[in-house]
Amino acid sequence: MLNPVAGSLERYMDLLSARQKLVASNIANAETPGYRTVDLDFEREFRSQVAGGQPRASEVPGLEVNHDGNNVSLDREARLLAENGLRFQVAEALLKSQLQQMRQAISGGGSG
Amino acid sequence: MSLFSSLSVSASGMAAERARASLLVENLANAETTRTPEGGPYRRKDAVFASEAVTSPFGSEFANAIGAEGTGVRVAEVIEDQSAPERRYQPGHPDAGADGYVAFPHINPAEDMVDLMSASRNYEANVAAISAVKDMISHSIDLLR
Repeated sequence: MLNPVAGSLERYMDLLSARQKLVASNIANAETPGYRTVDLDFEREFRSQVAGGQPRASEVPGLEVNHDGNNVSLDREARLLAENGLRFQVAEALLKSQLQQMRQAISGGGSG
Repeated sequence: MSLFSSLSVSASGMAAERARASLLVENLANAETTRTPEGGPYRRKDAVFASEAVTSPFGSEFANAIGAEGTGVRVAEVIEDQSAPERRYQPGHPDAGADGYVAFPHINPAEDMVDLMSASRNYEANVAAISAVKDMISHSIDLLR
């Protein structure tokens, strides 16, 4: 019913939720021996999501590995945590304005 | 929904760090304990973590439409330090051996304090993750208004 922009926004928010979940996993496993940081390739996954695909998580290369085989960087995860939250807010504001337009169309564009 | 299972992931992290912190505190409290139910001095304990798939309270009915799986964490095992106890010469001690040496736990309080700080920081990181996800959920709910 809503226009394609709203549909894309919805997928964007879905993807952000999925990414936030991976960030939460990384933080929870910050001291698990042998655990490797996982993340989504955001740009690629967003394109494949718009095309109807499923997101795939993969290990993040290039992080410093601890003596116990764990490579979680809390700084990296904290940044992503904040970034995902802000991106989500932007998407939410845009979606809200889409819904607002829809409401206005329903009420005939009047003040009520 | 993906966001709600993120809460379970972070909660598992908090539970694991809390369990670890309680073991570390136990070590500090027993740094001078020479008698245990198993006999002999207290042995230092530590937690080993393992990642684990989280199951949401709704189970498979509401299995994620979205593929990215989150993994929580659990305490896989509690290990006891097997190194030889520290022997101190205290002939007056009731647990002293015939040679006057007492076996004390091999505990370095500095090591436990550092681990305790790291457990506490990781706990805070999990709390931050929960509050970030909580904000996202409440913003989604705001869309309905």
